[in-house]
Amino acid sequence: MQNLILETTEKLFSKHCTSTVRDEAEVGAFPEALWNAFQDAGLHLLGTAESGTSIQDAYALMRLAGRYGVPLPIPEILISNYCVGEAGITTVAEGAEAPWGRVADRVLFPNGDLVTSFSIQKGTNIAGEPRDTVIYSSSKLVELPSDFDAMMALGRTVSMSGAMERILELTLQYASERNQFGRALSKFQAIQHNLAVLAGETAASQRGADAAIESIDTPWFRIQVGSAKARVGEAAGTIAEIAHQIHGAMGFTHEHELHQFTRRLWAWREEHGNESVWRAELGRRILEVGADQVWAFLTRSL
Amino acid sequence: MFEGLSFEPAELPLKAEALRSEVREFIELQLPEGYERNSDFNEGHSPSFSSALGEKGWIGMTWPKKYGGAERTFFERYVVTEELLAAGAPVSAHWIADRQSGPLMLKYGTEAQRMKYLPGIVRGESYFSIGMSEPDSGSDLASVRTRATEVGGGWVVNGTKLWSTDAHRNQYMIALVRSEPPGQNRHAGLSQVLVDLKGEGVSVRPIVNIAGDEDFNEVVFTDYFVSSDEVIGEPGNGWDQVTSELGYERSGPERFLSAFRVFVEFVRLAGPQSDPAAVDLIGRLASHIITLRQMSISVAAMLQDGKNPATEAALVKSLGNDFEKQLPELVRLVMPRLESTHPLRLALEKTLLHAPSFTIRGGTREILRGVIARGLGLR
Repeated sequence: MQNLILETTEKLFSKHCTSTVRDEAEVGAFPEALWNAFQDAGLHLLGTAESGTSIQDAYALMRLAGRYGVPLPIPEILISNYCVGEAGITTVAEGAEAPWGRVADRVLFPNGDLVTSFSIQKGTNIAGEPRDTVIYSSSKLVELPSDFDAMMALGRTVSMSGAMERILELTLQYASERNQFGRALSKFQAIQHNLAVLAGETAASQRGADAAIESIDTPWFRIQVGSAKARVGEAAGTIAEIAHQIHGAMGFTHEHELHQFTRRLWAWREEHGNESVWRAELGRRILEVGADQVWAFLTRSL
Repeated sequence: MFEGLSFEPAELPLKAEALRSEVREFIELQLPEGYERNSDFNEGHSPSFSSALGEKGWIGMTWPKKYGGAERTFFERYVVTEELLAAGAPVSAHWIADRQSGPLMLKYGTEAQRMKYLPGIVRGESYFSIGMSEPDSGSDLASVRTRATEVGGGWVVNGTKLWSTDAHRNQYMIALVRSEPPGQNRHAGLSQVLVDLKGEGVSVRPIVNIAGDEDFNEVVFTDYFVSSDEVIGEPGNGWDQVTSELGYERSGPERFLSAFRVFVEFVRLAGPQSDPAAVDLIGRLASHIITLRQMSISVAAMLQDGKNPATEAALVKSLGNDFEKQLPELVRLVMPRLESTHPLRLALEKTLLHAPSFTIRGGTREILRGVIARGLGLR
């Protein structure tokens, strides 16, 4: 089931989510065709009970969206539809900042405020994704899962892991096509070692994100998400650095699409708790259980 | 992610998890009085602990019953292994025999060899050393020069092996030797032979390491006779055998837990009122351990399924070794100056002294990155 959904989604993204679409979205154009195709395929309902799919499926789709740098608030839409039901585009604010607040019908705040009437001040993150400040005076209070913040953090984590896979692909491709000193960059041992590190950080992020998805509905969900967000956030810096170094000046141009993914990593690692935030929570939990139980804690066998 | 680089979802099955508390109780009961715990698999040599472990059926535990094994799963073995390492129990005596030599004999050995050697390993009484490196051959293993010359009924071995851990106290070694002169194909003409370390023509000289320990050795063969019965696998097939031997155990918990006791003592010292830098570091190190462990379990699952996750295993070892090496470097910066007998200072200094070996033993970081690059299709 999940594989079938992902195949469909991948076809849709590769058709409608090109480098040009990402560029245009960044200067303010809402990707109409992409959103319509997404909705027509019913993908915006993925994870909801009525769709017959699971929230795990929704997270798998978020990874794919990260891999394609989809210029839509996919995690916000899927997680809010799962939590409060679908009604147009619902985005989820972090603080007062809502991704794509400008096109949203509703804004959901992590404290449970659901807002339908609001004004916005436009803003963007470092990746050029809309992050609009929401101003509102009235709201309806809805009940959210107690780990709603962790659900959002997992959304960013899996998105980052998707973007990393794309960055690894782009970098491997560039290194094998670019010739210097009479041979491909990928034939130089120094480059190979950096690519090995890049692959290692990508694989660790993928596994960390997957393990957090696998822990949904267990008592360890929050711990796994915190661990994954911290680990993946740490990998993001390393991965962006190596990928840009190997791409040389070419990767520093707007024309090359590498930045559409590295800038997203730099943006997403800050959103819904950066490494410091989640490490602090994880560290405090460990200090509560104490040295003699730390292994039991790490192996989920307390 | 890629063909040849995928970490499939995997969890330890409940049946394996069920072993955990039993192993924990066993360790607390069996640890020698006043034993200084150490999570480095190379530290802590205790034949009495090894034989008690063997009695429980926790050595060679995946092997067939006819050789004394318990026919348990790789997952069950994973739990036993990580519990032993996390508790800092002494496992070095039987380690190589259990993880490397036994599996090699199971895969390539004759029935007679298996019947002769495996039961002793399982009992925690027979210990093995590795005979791969030489004075002029380290990472470039195919360049070994120890010669085996065929004579009636067997081979005569001459040459020198180096860095053979515990050869001064183990009974056996499996040595990689050149059984034919080097030709066009430098991987051809190598063989693996079983050596009796107490035998005539074998002299063992311990080498003191930077921590002051006598762990590894120089082993010199002077006209040492090996009967044909003691050749493992096909003569000339040594290269394939040795690379598969190295691949078996690249990604186990021993590849990221070597410094774990430092982490435990750091948590103990920090306590609930820690300053933010200590809390942050504990969270950071935990996020790495949790992730590495999940990658490692994923590889164990692929092994259990009979797959050959060579690239993934190299990747876990490389990431894990870098992590366990970095751990004491990060901890020292946020801990107070401690007196020389403090458990954290002792654990940290001991780990620092052994850390240079973490990214060398079992395949250097540089060799592993080459293996990963090959897996990525770059070579």
